[in-house]
Amino acid sequence: MHSASTAAPLLESHDLSFRFGARPILHALNLRVEAGSIYGFLGPNGAGKSTTMRLLLGLLWPSSGTVQLFGYELARHRVALLGRVGALIESPSLYDHLTGRENVEATRRLRGVPAHRTAEVLALVGLAADAHRPAREYSLGMRQRLGLALALLPNPDLLLLDEPTNGLDPTGIIEMRALLRSLCHEHGKTILVSSHLISEIEKTVTHVGVIQRGRLVFQGSLPDLQRLQTGRAQLVLETENATTCRHLLPHLLAGATVAGPGTLQLPWLSREHAAELAAGLASAGQPIYGLRQEQPTLEDTFLHLTESANE
Amino acid sequence: MEYALPTAPGPFIQLGRTLVADALKLRRTAALWLALGGGALPVLLNLLIFYFKGQYFVKPGTNPWPMYVGMSWQTASVLLLPLFVVLLSGLVVNLENRGGWRQLLAQPVSRGAVFGSKLLLLLGLNAVAQALYVLLLLAAGVLLGWLRPDLGFQNNAIGLLPVLRMLGHTYVATLGILGVQYALALAFRGFVGPLAVGIAGIVSALTLLRWEHIDLVPYAAPTRILRLLEGDTQLSVAAALSPAEWYSLGWFALAVLVGYLLLLRRPVTD
Repeated sequence: MHSASTAAPLLESHDLSFRFGARPILHALNLRVEAGSIYGFLGPNGAGKSTTMRLLLGLLWPSSGTVQLFGYELARHRVALLGRVGALIESPSLYDHLTGRENVEATRRLRGVPAHRTAEVLALVGLAADAHRPAREYSLGMRQRLGLALALLPNPDLLLLDEPTNGLDPTGIIEMRALLRSLCHEHGKTILVSSHLISEIEKTVTHVGVIQRGRLVFQGSLPDLQRLQTGRAQLVLETENATTCRHLLPHLLAGATVAGPGTLQLPWLSREHAAELAAGLASAGQPIYGLRQEQPTLEDTFLHLTESANE
Repeated sequence: MEYALPTAPGPFIQLGRTLVADALKLRRTAALWLALGGGALPVLLNLLIFYFKGQYFVKPGTNPWPMYVGMSWQTASVLLLPLFVVLLSGLVVNLENRGGWRQLLAQPVSRGAVFGSKLLLLLGLNAVAQALYVLLLLAAGVLLGWLRPDLGFQNNAIGLLPVLRMLGHTYVATLGILGVQYALALAFRGFVGPLAVGIAGIVSALTLLRWEHIDLVPYAAPTRILRLLEGDTQLSVAAALSPAEWYSLGWFALAVLVGYLLLLRRPVTD
């Protein structure tokens, strides 16, 4: 296994573009997934996540740009490189007439993986007891876990997981998060996991890439994303009559919006501005029931990023 | 370079692994049952015909085997065998049509290995089915010897060489259909499309049997080679390939090339 301290990213794309006929789908994506990271690939449905995943696996060919895995071009060394990659693309494609164990066995034989891995991965995803049942009897969550078992089978260095929490119940989602963390931290895997919900993966990922309409609108570490939020803090004022206050203090409440009959919201500027506003309200005889700073959630930031890309 | 490039398995290892995996996927499938049991239908039909009506077409004192083998072969080759190949190729490829391609083509094996494996599987299943058919046919003849001793099956012999030659001719004659149907199944990405084209091909071939260029039509080849069955008292089959078989091989080669290119250039969007 490679060292996590290696400087070169494990997965990299250079100006990766894709068009479906005349319709452009992806625009010059420059993804960079560092070794040992859990990279959350976020974007609303239809933003281009699955298309990107397929390009990263050689299922589709880019109209321009390149994909590099482990520092080598995928287009030239696909078979060799995919030997170190495990993937789960959208809903797992299982052979319904085969049992869970036979499904794993088919992939194991195809990849030339040692026989003992079948029982190991089935146990890892908690399907050992149901491995004898036909896959057509599996629930959506079980199918998803069997798909993950197939991805883990070759003990890959890089895992590409497309919406792995789809169809899982809340317990399943929590288990999946724990499994991803354990795979990264205890087993040294690098994971690229896509989702359309930041709340599902914000507790798991170390890095984030946000895609919207085929463009990468943010890429960086989770702290980088959190820093983006600080410039978007809000000052929330609870008073008796929001409109009256705005008329009385037009300069101090210049950027304020009325969020409710007694609630005003304005961009956070500074502590001094907040103190000045409090003093101004008091001297104008207006009651202050509350004055607080509100940080946007990661979800708000995600929505802001994807909405601004829409404009 | 900071990472060592992993070693890719050789092309034959890739092909072997894909074939082993594809064989496992056949478990409990209609394709496998069709291959194992498909030959029983013409044999059973012929067994019943000879059991109930044999006295009308087997002259007393003559060798019933040539007529028995010829009639059975005719029942099998004209309609059932082409239909069998159409169904078999459709069913084998259809195993991947519910998202299997996505999983399969994201594995560290070349598309050539994926294509070659399914082709070898089809060729193997076709061979097994036809060999089983011949075994069943001969076994049913022996059975008729016990059930209807008056027909004379037990007192006469059948030469194995002409039967095996006919088996070889029939196999070659089905290769054109197999190749074309395999390429169609890869092109359509569904079961119904290639089935419809296959049935249309069979019906057209049967309609055009009197056409002077019928040997060009792959779906007619299994019927066209029936004329190789000769002899009233002892079965004889020429070794040389007939024109229909050569055309069948030509269709097979062309279809395999087209099918390979289709899979090689196929974007996986499903």
